[in-house]
Parts: sequence; structure tokens; C-alpha cells
Amino acid sequence: MSEQRFKCPKCGAISCFNGNCGETKIVSCASCHVQGRITISSQEQNGNVAIEVSHLKKVYGDLIAVNDITFTVKKGEIFAFLGPNGAGKTTTVEMIESIRKPTAGNIKLLGVDIKIGFNRIKERISILPQEFHSFERFTIRETLTYFSKLYKKPANIDDIIDTMDLRSHEKKLYRNLSGGLKQRVGVALSLVNDPEIIFLDEPTTGLDPKARREVWQVIANLRSKGKTVFLTTHYMEEAEHLADHIAVIHKGKIIAEGSLQELISRYGEKTSLFIKNCRSEEAKRHLEEKGFEVRSSGNGDIMVKIDYKEKVLEVLSELRHKCIEYDGVDIRGSNLEEVFLRLTGARLTEEADT
Amino acid sequence: MNLKIVGIDFLYNIRSWTRSRGTVFWSLLFPVMLIFLFGAIFSGIGEGKYSLHVQDLDNTDMSQGFIDLLNSTGVLNIKNVTTDDVITEYIKQHNIKNLIVIPQGYKNDLMRSYVDTSVTVNLTYYFDPTEQQTNQVLRSVISSVLQGLNMQISQGRTVVAMQEESTITEQFGFIDFFIPGMIGFTIMQQSIYGSIERNTKYRKDGILRKLLTTPITRSEWILAKMLFMLFLAFLSTSVAIGVGVLAFGINVNINLLTIGIIIATSFLFSGVGMIIGRFVKEEETADMAAGAISFPMMFLAGTFFAVESMPAFLQLIARALPLFYVNEGLRNAMIYMNQSEALTNAGIVLIFAAIFFIAGVVLTKWKED
Repeated sequence: MSEQRFKCPKCGAISCFNGNCGETKIVSCASCHVQGRITISSQEQNGNVAIEVSHLKKVYGDLIAVNDITFTVKKGEIFAFLGPNGAGKTTTVEMIESIRKPTAGNIKLLGVDIKIGFNRIKERISILPQEFHSFERFTIRETLTYFSKLYKKPANIDDIIDTMDLRSHEKKLYRNLSGGLKQRVGVALSLVNDPEIIFLDEPTTGLDPKARREVWQVIANLRSKGKTVFLTTHYMEEAEHLADHIAVIHKGKIIAEGSLQELISRYGEKTSLFIKNCRSEEAKRHLEEKGFEVRSSGNGDIMVKIDYKEKVLEVLSELRHKCIEYDGVDIRGSNLEEVFLRLTGARLTEEADT
Repeated sequence: MNLKIVGIDFLYNIRSWTRSRGTVFWSLLFPVMLIFLFGAIFSGIGEGKYSLHVQDLDNTDMSQGFIDLLNSTGVLNIKNVTTDDVITEYIKQHNIKNLIVIPQGYKNDLMRSYVDTSVTVNLTYYFDPTEQQTNQVLRSVISSVLQGLNMQISQGRTVVAMQEESTITEQFGFIDFFIPGMIGFTIMQQSIYGSIERNTKYRKDGILRKLLTTPITRSEWILAKMLFMLFLAFLSTSVAIGVGVLAFGINVNINLLTIGIIIATSFLFSGVGMIIGRFVKEEETADMAAGAISFPMMFLAGTFFAVESMPAFLQLIARALPLFYVNEGLRNAMIYMNQSEALTNAGIVLIFAAIFFIAGVVLTKWKED
């Protein structure tokens, strides 16, 4: 028996179904019940999958923390698990890391079912827990050495120190490091066993923008080393900046999944073209006659919704044609924040703050 | 069980421990300071005047003359005991540490000694052997007074002599009592607080979560920690004994029972720490909970004072506390050489250790619910 993903063409939800290799099945989406056809592929074809999560659920009394989620993470990609605080991100990642026991569902890491084989894959995975603080009275080198010695095949500590640009700090005690450096050490620690999958749980929470960008650089470097990175975050810029694939989780459910472009094109608003200080009423009337969606701010500015950026020139030439002058233009594309707003009716930053 | 991993964790614990001056201070120097402090207080070091009770059964001008001589030294605070009191009862009832009895016929015997050189007068000096420093001072003061008196009466021939009797039967000082108590207390503190740090701080900092996904197992980790706690227990025991022997001259007997009690104590209180760490998640609250348990136990279980000196209901409570049996066991094994009693104490400590350590290990979880 093998497992095969089915991505709903209507709502984008992913469901998993079991069957014999080569078997073709008619299946229906778990969310919207739209039917589709899948062919069960062989294990070899699924060989590029690092993490497989199917129908994962975690219930605490009346609270459903994680509600029947299914997704896969390909090898070598940075997978961002994006959602506000309390959405179920950490509960999910802790179930994948075998720290919490799922109420229901299956998890496979590198093809191994963690219910029975987690100890076998410990050498191949690594984690950076949320708000991680290492042993305060160890230096960076000692910290890396301690954790590396727990593994059968430790990575070269000097290589890690160089890769993480920690050479000038290696003799400093951990407790004396800045927040950004501590997080870099945390990421460095996740490399001591040269793992195939690295779980980074909110690695930049609490860091200033400069330190955050430094950690982003480190994470981006992991992709270039071929590592699979499972990144949980509530910072949309982080997901936008780093992720190859994004799953948006809200109230325990995955509400959208795909690459950044896929999410924006599927759920984002149109691109907005702001035209400043023009004869707004005349411009609005003319552009609406030409089929554009236009809003006037009342202070001489207008906003024109366009499907894609190439339409900018068309709008501007229409204005020129009518001899309508303006002071400047500003183009604003859609982003994850808008995607989240559209999907949940709330801003990610607002949800994160609550 | 991977002993290499256990060894690595053990060695890194020692390295981390030596880098915390505070921890080293509380583990080693603080007990030493307490030993010196209490040793000084209860051994009489630093007292300005020494109390000496005197029972004058002769009640003559010559016996009063002897008392005046004692008074004239300026270092004694003379307290008179009436002739009606039975002296042994009086000592017991009033917990008298030093007392001298001038016998009836003192004057007569002194007068006779002028004509009969074989006549001597014996004063009886009662002393508490646990007050070694005080005894040394008082003995030398009284001897000096007697020397002067004998010189005056008979040009140095011993007419008035001093005969000594102990107020208690056992020949041990306070420091003999105190050092084993201090060892038990120190191991208790190290084990409880060490366990709490591992189970609350490491949990809060995500270290346990990190370790859970590494190849080290929970049992290997606990074993490494227990080895470290035993290392600390034996180190602090050695320091306490060293100070006791070198500074206070105590005689210590290190035997298998002593070692067994130290090991069992370390396991016992590590278990207590694990249980606290399991139920009290916040590090600060856990520290307070540990203090709430360990400090009353320290005072009630006979670390500083003999349990027998406490009211009856407190003695009852003391006998329900594991530290009481640790203290008694160590005293019996190390100092009093009462091995059968020590064996009983060790057995009780072992039972406590088994219960608390097993409960602690069972309750210590790396995984979350």
C-alpha cells in the first residue's frame, strides 16, 4: 500500500489516500467534496518527500488545537508553516518532532512512520525549539561540541563555525551572546549531525530587524546545502523571503497552501496603481469608461486595480491621451498579509498580537 | 545504554558547574562557612565571660575565699547553686554546662592540712564535653586559681585538687554532631536544586525538547545527572570532613555505611527535586517550593540542634522526615560508631530514596501531553 496526495482543483486543500501502486481511484476532496482522479504512485516516486503529514489531529478536552491537517514537504525545500500565535503551528511541529502525541493522524519523516521508527531517524533530523536557550556557561564551541558528541556521525564543528560566521565569537559564553547570535548558535546546533531535515520553530521571534535578516541569511544558506527546512513563523515577510512552499494555518486548519506566487494569484488582491495629484474625477470617469476598476481618495489621488503590472503603461497612456497630468505613480502588489486577510477576515499581525 | 554519551554529559556538567561561582560557593564554601560559624557559636569561641556555677556545701569564710579568688580572675561569671539542690538533678534540669562543687568540710580539711601533710581536699568540676573550647578555658582558669591557692597554703604542695566529671555520658563535641548534619543538609540542597534546574529551566529553555530529538535517551541523561550529583555529594562531604578534621580535630570513620547513606541521600533528594520540577513548572516557583520543603526540614531534622532538645510534637515531626534519618545515620556511622543503629537509619533512608527516586523518574517526562 502507498499513499498519494490529492490537491483539490477548487479549494486547493490536500487530502491523502491509500492504494496499491499504479491503481487509479476516484476520490473526493475532504473539504468541498469536489471529485477528482488520482493514480497511486510507487514509493520510489515519493522518494523526494521529506515530511508527510496526513489527517493530523490534536484535541485537548473541548479544544481542537490541530484539526485534521494534511501536507507534504519535499526534500530540499524551505517549507514555511505560517500562522498567528495560537493557530496550532507549534503543536503541529511538536507532533512531527515526536514531542507531543497526536490524537489522530499519521506522520512520516524520510519515509519512516515516527510512531514506530522515530529513534531510527534521530540521526537524520534536527530541531531548533521555540525560544531556545542553550547551556549558559558553555562557550559556543563547547555547546556545539557537546551536542555533536551525542551523534554517531557528527559534522565538523569548525565547518559549522565558519558557515555560521561564528569564528570570532566561538570562545564567548552562551549567556553573554546577543539575541541574534544566540539564534545563530541555535541554527548552528541544528547542523551538528549534518541532518537532512531541520525544524526551526519561530527562529526570529524577539529579534531586531538586523538580527532577523542575519538569521534569514543563515536559513537561506541551508537551502543551498540541500537541507529540508520546516520553518514555523508568524512573520509573513519571513515566509515571503525564505519559503519555497507555504502552508497557512488558522485555528488548527490549513486554509491555504502553495508557493508564494500561487497563493497570491489564488487569494491575493489585484495589483494597485496609485496615481497622485491628478484631476481625479475626470481621470476616474475616463478610466472606468475604459473598463478599469477605480477608486478616488477625494484628495486628488486615485487607485486603479490592475490584473498585472504590464497594465500600468496602458493606464498611463489613457491619462496622457486625455491630457491628465499627475505628480507620480506608485505600484503596490499583493502580499501574504492580504492573502491572510482575505482568507480569515483578520490581519496576521493583529492575530499575532492577540 | 551508551556509556560514552553518559560520560560526555557528566564531564560537561562538571565543566559548567565549575564556571558558576555562585553554585560553587553554595555547594562548597557555604557549608564550610556554616561549619565555622556554628562551630564557633556552639563551641564557645568568642565569648567574653564564661559562666561557672558553684555549689558551696561548706559555706565558710574559707570556701567563700575560694569563690572570691575565682571571681577575681575577671573571666568568670559565678552563679551560686543552693546547698539544697541535688547536683546531678540540678545539672540535668537546668542544662548546666560547667559547675564546681566545694565539699562540706572544706575549711576543716584545709586547717588539718597544716598539721597533716597527707590531707587533701577534692573539688568536683562538672563539665559538658561537647563544649571543648569553653572547657579548655575554664580548666586553665580553675587550675591557675588552685595553683595559687596551694602555693599560699603549702608552698606548692597539692592540698586542694580538682576532680572532673562529665555532665553527659558520651564523649563527643558539638562539632562531631554538626559535621554529619551539615553533610546531609548540603547533599539535600544540591540534589533538590540541581534536579529542579534540570526539570524546569531546561524545559523552559527548550533544552529537553532539543535533547528529545537527539540520540541520548532519558535514562542515559538521568544516569549522567545522577553521576554528577554523586560527584558533588562526595566532593562536598570531603570538604566538610576535611574542615572538621583539620580545624576542629574531629575523628571521622569512613565506612561502607557512610558511603551508602551518602549515595542514597543523593538519589532521595534528586527524586524530591524531580517531583517538584514535574508539578511546579516555573523555575522561580519551583525554587520557592524547594525552599519551603528543605529549610523547615533542615531545622527540624536535627541538622544544627539535637532533636531531643525540641518539644515532643516537633520530635514526632522530625522522625517523619527523611533528613532526620540521613543525619542520624551519618552520625552513627561516621562519628559514634554505632553501626547497628546506622544500619537501621541507612535502611530507612534507602526506602525513602527508592520511593522518591522511582516516583521522580516516572514523573520526569521529556514529552508533552
